[in-house]
Parts: sequence; C-alpha cells; structure tokens
Amino acid sequence: MTIESAHTQMLVMIAAIVVAPLAAAAAVSLGVMRASPRTPAAVGLAVSLVASLGLSWLWHTADGAAYEYGERLGGGSLIHIDGITAAFMPYVAIVELAILLVAPKRFLDAAATTRILLGAAATFAIFSTAHPLVLVLLWIATALPTWISTRGTPGGRPAARVFAIAMLTSLVCVSLGTLLMLVDPPWERGCGVVGNAGGWLVALAVLVRKGIVPFHSWYPALFSGAPMSTALAATMPQIAAYTAVRLLIGHADHGEGVAVELVALSQLALVTAAYGGALAVVQRDLRGLIGTLAMSQSALVLAGLAGKLPMELNGAFCIWISSGLALTGIGLVAWALESRAGPLSLETPQGRFRDSPTLAALFLLFGLASIGLPGTLSFVADDLIVSGSLDDRLHAGLLVIASTVLSGIAIMRAWFMIFGGPAAVDGPRHLILPRERVALTALLVPLFVLGMFPSPLVRSLERAAEQLLGVPEVKLQSGGHETEKNESNR
Amino acid sequence: MNEFLALSLAPPALAGGTAHDAVALLVIMQLAAPAATLVAIGLPALFGRPLSERATTRLVGSGFGVGFIAGLAMLAVLATRRFAPEVVHLGSWFSAGHHDATIELVADGLSVPYVCFSTGLCALVNAFAGKYLHREPGFTRFFLLLALFGTGMNLMVLAGSIDVLFAGWEFLGISSTLLIGFFHERTNAVKAALRAFTTYRICDVGLLAAAVLVHRAVGSGDFERLFAGTWPNGECLVPATTATVVSLLLVFAAMGKSAQVPFSNWLPRAMEGPTPSSAIFYGALSIHAGAYVLLRCESLLDAAPLARAALLVIGIGTALHAATVGRVQTDLKSMLAYASMTQAGIIFAEIGLGWRIVPLVHIVSHAILRSLQILRSPSALHDRHELEAALGGHPGAGEWSLRNLLPMSVQRALYRVALERGFEEMAVMRVFVGPAWRLLERIAAAERAWTAWLGEKRGAAGDGAGRR
Repeated sequence: MTIESAHTQMLVMIAAIVVAPLAAAAAVSLGVMRASPRTPAAVGLAVSLVASLGLSWLWHTADGAAYEYGERLGGGSLIHIDGITAAFMPYVAIVELAILLVAPKRFLDAAATTRILLGAAATFAIFSTAHPLVLVLLWIATALPTWISTRGTPGGRPAARVFAIAMLTSLVCVSLGTLLMLVDPPWERGCGVVGNAGGWLVALAVLVRKGIVPFHSWYPALFSGAPMSTALAATMPQIAAYTAVRLLIGHADHGEGVAVELVALSQLALVTAAYGGALAVVQRDLRGLIGTLAMSQSALVLAGLAGKLPMELNGAFCIWISSGLALTGIGLVAWALESRAGPLSLETPQGRFRDSPTLAALFLLFGLASIGLPGTLSFVADDLIVSGSLDDRLHAGLLVIASTVLSGIAIMRAWFMIFGGPAAVDGPRHLILPRERVALTALLVPLFVLGMFPSPLVRSLERAAEQLLGVPEVKLQSGGHETEKNESNR
Repeated sequence: MNEFLALSLAPPALAGGTAHDAVALLVIMQLAAPAATLVAIGLPALFGRPLSERATTRLVGSGFGVGFIAGLAMLAVLATRRFAPEVVHLGSWFSAGHHDATIELVADGLSVPYVCFSTGLCALVNAFAGKYLHREPGFTRFFLLLALFGTGMNLMVLAGSIDVLFAGWEFLGISSTLLIGFFHERTNAVKAALRAFTTYRICDVGLLAAAVLVHRAVGSGDFERLFAGTWPNGECLVPATTATVVSLLLVFAAMGKSAQVPFSNWLPRAMEGPTPSSAIFYGALSIHAGAYVLLRCESLLDAAPLARAALLVIGIGTALHAATVGRVQTDLKSMLAYASMTQAGIIFAEIGLGWRIVPLVHIVSHAILRSLQILRSPSALHDRHELEAALGGHPGAGEWSLRNLLPMSVQRALYRVALERGFEEMAVMRVFVGPAWRLLERIAAAERAWTAWLGEKRGAAGDGAGRR
C-alpha cells in the first residue's frame, strides 16, 4: 500500500468516524426504530469504533509521520492525524459506545440518544483536527449537549448553572486566547506580549475545562447533578487535554518543548491530583466520589503533559486512557446499580453484593485498574509519570504517589460501603444484563491486556510524544553510528 | 507473547549454563502455575459460570503443587551450585526513554527455600479450605483470592528488582484485604478490611518512595545495582546516606504488613476472615512479608545503623505490647493474632541486631506453628469446651505464671493497659486519623457549600434533588 493511498483511506476513516454518529442521530430524530433508539445509535457508534480501529491500524502501517489535510492555520490543519489521533480515536469510540449500551432504558429516549450521538460526533471531530478555530467551535459544540442534558434533569439545574459558569469562562478564555495567538503567533520567532497573553488565556481555559483547583467545582457538581452518561461523556475524553496538546505543546515547532504557561500552571494540576484524592476519601455518596476521582485523574494528565520529557507525556497519555476507561467503567457500574435500586450512599454499608455480584466484581476490577494495580495500564502510566518526573521534579513524583495512595483508599472504601454490609432486601437478584456485560467487558479488557503487554502502546505513544516535543529520534545505523532524525514534520 | 518467552529464555542461554536455563524455566513455572489457576477459575466466574468446588480446589491445588515441585527442583539445582545467586531476566516489560521496566527475578539462598515453603503451605491450606469452606457462599471467591495471594507471594519472594517486589507486595495487600472482608454481610468484617487496607496503603508509601529513590540513586530498580554478593553476605553498593533513607522507608513499609506498633491494630480485627485465610495470612506468610523484604535488603541495612536501631526499637516495642495485650484477650483468634504480632516483633528485633539466618529460621518455624494453631482453633475450642464440661471447671486455673512475680498494683496497671490494647488505637485515632478526617470533612463541606452557592444563587426555586 502506498503512502498516498493510506492517507486517502485515513481520510475515509475519519469521515466515517464523524459521520456515522451524525447519521445515527438523524435517524433517531426522524423516528427510525422509535421504540428502541439504542439500536440505530449503537450501530452508528459501532461503525465509528470499527473505523477508528481501522484508522489506528492504517496509521501504524504507514510511515508513522503526522498527516495533515486542509487549510493550515495557527500551527494546525483542519485534519491532523498522528499518533495521538491513532491512539485516542478508538479510546473515545469505546467510551461512547459503552455509555450508550449501559444507559438504562427509561433514560434513553430519542432526545437523550440524539444528544449522546451529537456529543460523540463533536468529540470525534475534535480528535481529528489541530485547527485552532475549529477547536474553539467544537468546544462549544461539546459543551452545549452537556448543559442541555444537565438542565433538563430533575434537580440538575444547580449543576447546569455551575457547569455553565465554568464553560462560559473557559470558552471566553479559549476564544480570546486563540485569537491573540493567531494575531501574534507564539510558534513564530519574535512573539510579543499579545501572543504570550494569548498563550496564558488558552492555558487558563484548559485549567477551567479540566477542573483544576480553584476551577474544579463543576466536576463533582456535574457528576452529582447530571445523568451519568452526560457527566462521563463530558469529562472522560478530556478534550481540554487534547487542546493543550495541539495549542500549547505546538511550541515544539521551535524546539522549545512545552509552553511555559502550561509548565507554570501544571503545579496547580499536581496539587489538584492530590487534593482530589483526599476529597474522594471523605465523599458521602458514590457520584461525589466518582466526580472527585475524575478531577484527580484529569489533573494527573495535565501534570504529565507539562513534563519536559517524552516519557512524562507518554505517562500522561497512558493515564488519560487508563483512567478514562476505568472511571467510565466505575461510573457505568454505578449507573447500573442506581437504576436498579436508587442512589448509593457511602456513609453506611449498603449490602449490594448479594444483589449484584457480577457488578461488584466489575466495580472492584475497574477500581483496582484505576489506582495503579500491577498488571493494569494504570500501573504502567503511574510508573512512567513518576519515573519521568524524577529527573527535574521530585515533588511531582511524590504528589503523584500521594494521589495514588489516597485514590486507592477512596476506591476500596466505596467498594466496601456499597457492596458490604447486611443485604437490605430479600427480593430477586438484579443480574447483569447482556448489553451491560458486553460494554463493561469491552472497557475492562484493554485495561488488563494493555497492562500486561504495554510495549506496543507505550512505543507508539512515545513516538507521538517525541514528535510533539520535537525530540530528535536517535537511531542506530548498521555501522553502529548514532544518527539523529527529527521526526517532526512541521 | 512469543517475544516475551523468547526474551525469557535468551539470557540464560547466553550465560551458557544449563543450570541457569533450568532455574529460569523453574522460576517461570513458579509464577505461571498459580497465575494460570487464577485465570482458569476467574474468567468463568466473571462470566457467571463458576467451576464446581471440586474442580476449583483441584485446579488451585495443582497450581500450588506444580509451584512446590518446581521450587524443590530449583532448590536441588541451586544446591549443586552452593546457592550462588542466579538472576533471571524475563525481558523488558516496557521501556520509554531511559526508563526500562525489566522483569528481573533472583533465585538464591533466601528466595528459593522461602518460595518452597510458601507454595507448600499454600497447597496445604488449599486442601484444608476445600473441606472447611464446603458449600460456603463465596467458595470460588476464596480460592480466587488464594491463587492471587500465591502469585503475589511468589512474585515478591523471587523479585530481583524493587519494581517487581512492589507488584507482588500489592497483590498481597489486595488479596489480604478482600479476604478479611470475605464475609461481606458482617459490618465488622467490612470495617476490619477497610482498616487493614488503609494501613497497608499508608505504609505502601514507604515502598513506593523507596522505589522512587532507588531509581533516582542508581538509575534502575534492580537489586544488582543496590547490593552484590551471595545472601546473607551481600555488599552494599550505594552510599550510606542512600542506604539509610531507603532502609528507613522499607522499615516503614514493612511495619504496615507485619503489624508493628503503631500500625498493629488492624491485625486482631483481620481475624474476621475465614480461618484458612487467617492462618496463611496472619499466622504464616503475609505477616512475615515485611520481615522478608528486610532480609532481602539486608546489605542496605548493614550500611544503615539508624535503620537497624529503629528496627530494634520497633520490634521490641511491638513484642512487649503484643505479649501484654494478648494475655487478656477473650477469644482465641485475637489471642493468636497477638501471639503472631509478638513473634513478628521479635523477628524485627533479630533483623535489627544484624542476624540473618536466625530470623529466617524463626519466620519458617513460627509460620508453621501458628498456621497449625489457627487452622486447629475452631476444633480446639470445641475440645476445650468438652474438657471443661468433663472436669467441671477451668483445667488450667491456679497454675504459676511469670506475672505473679509482679506487685499487684503493677499487675492491675498492666491489666488496664492490656484491656485498652495499650491505648495504641486511641492514640492513633486521636492524634492522626481523627484530626485529618475532620479537616478533610470540613474542606469537603466547604466545597459543597461553595458549589451550592454557585449553582443556586440564581437558580429556580424548588429545584431540589431528584433522579439522574
């Protein structure tokens, strides 16, 4: 296969990934299979998943260089396919499909299904572009379904208001910042005050959208007030991290690595990681726990992205995937339990083990996979980020350790409080449904398989990190002489 | 996978020794056998079709049996080489930049006898538990956790690097926690499991930080770069300061798993778990995991007199505390828990004194005796009741005791102290846990108030909580 034909096929895959959920949304809103909107929606997202796997395979079998298509503006083009795209498209597709499959039937009416599909399409589109203005527009496109869904939920208006305040702040910052950066591009030599101010505004927008202290309140609020699908779809893809990768690590064009704004503000991310873990320990209900844990893990990703070494970025990417899969799993198990027996308190043992033993086992496995159990991807991620940060940021390594320890205590407390204790009822057992089993297994398998055999993923992400940072790749020629090859194609 | 196995076998072949090849193969069997049983009984259970009781016990028993036989064979091979350490490189797990996470195991005079002992004991407990837990809800869960424990124990014992050791250590902690909470419908079991896990997790900071420091100091987690030579006469390869800091962190980590004061109050409560797991965890293997790690890193301790002094103080303090408190316990398993704690304290003190063989022998002999006592305890109680009924009273009443040498006032004071379990738990709760918990709760409450203010200031009236 020639490179050109591979690129053409990649474009087809990208189109399929984005268009399939849009087509499914159109079908659902037109009333196709009105009684079961899940079916066309699942077909649409399954097509996206298959196409994303195809994209990933195509990218890995091609020359491994980033492929750009369309107008290039402000350091990025309309379609941008690189190692990040190849790794994260399948991840986003699995998360979105799992959310759709586990969503309780009474929740999933045509409107909710359409919102899930539109949000998914916008998220896929974000992960396929590096164009600053398109990124800004897609920030709005992804925030709107979340806000509408939260606002329409009984008791969700306060959470919707908190979310709206945070999103408006971040949207204003990212819009202004991007415009300033386009006027006075920091990726060109001789950048002035305007460009730097733009960089700081974009970094601030990223902090807000990632729920970093002191802009973190919307994270637990969203998990407490919004439907679980909405909260997970809004937070797990981590589009702010992706934006940071495209706009703030784009400074690599001149070999400067990560933008100084991100490095400075990442200190807050480290504190947030430990703070989120500490808050998770004392949460009174499961949704609060998931919200604070998601906040902590999201902060860890940002902290890693601010690293100077490809290894740290690699660790951040791994945490991005591992925590996203694991927390989505925990959130969906929680949603499945809630849909059967109401809200889950963590103040007294709820005795749900006898009721749902398989869900208990899955919750435990997802929980362990989120806190760095050896043999899971999160262990690899923690190892990379701690080892990477040792060279110049010892405190970062120690804060990551603190965060991991506290998150572990919080997860096990939650497991024992939900599933331990005397069984409250003698009613029929709530067995796991086949669609729930399929979705949760699809989330669980990559966590363990990639944890046991992480080399291909780590190598691929390492290469992507090196390309982003503009690190010259050292290769040994046949004569044993080291040669440097700058893989950055910019 | 093929690449992994190829890497597993390539270095021994390069080393040129048939014995090395044999040891590498046996080491892989040691790890693979219990891990395979974990998968074999875990996957069907996860998909709602657990194996029968007989198939479960046979599978797990076979895993441990194969591990035990492989251990004996490894012992024989090593004996022919005067227990010269064999480092087995199982290849690179993953690498990024300058960081290479290698899987390195070591077969030497410490690890091989210990792995034989631990797999043998696991096999015996497996046979006992097959009958003891017959028709118990959670039968499969127990054996799944036993297989996880066995895998973790072998990984920890055979670890040739601090990374691999940490992996095994974590499996021990998780399996121990879940077995303490095995009877999940009892609230006390749930609380005890949570207490144990919290203690483990806090003390794990020591091992994690030690791993971080080792990587920082020598650029890798391999023990080969920390110390050299044949156990127990290793030579420390790092500066005294590094050795001292790493040793102190390891001591901190070991204190949690081995229930040393002030991290000991989880142990008596851990007896909430099934008797077979109590025997193997808190009478035999898990309780000595900390001591094993210290013995593995004995060369570092030799270069760290401060850490040895700390071990001596902690060990003697724990032994005195547990011996005193154990005397007033009114149930057999608590009494045995404190007896285990006493011996673990003495073993710590022995390691602090710089001894190597004595604590190893002490660990093995204590583990065998204590696990027998714990396994026997339910029927021993029954026998005792029958004996008392036959005699019409307490058979041991009036016998001479060492405490009779003490004045009555001292006896009363000690009794009070022992009844309150040495005020240890009270002190820990009041000084550390309570204030930290209250502070975090206040912060969480302030967070909730702030979020509510943000959300409700301009919110619609009557927008209360509802279903999501």
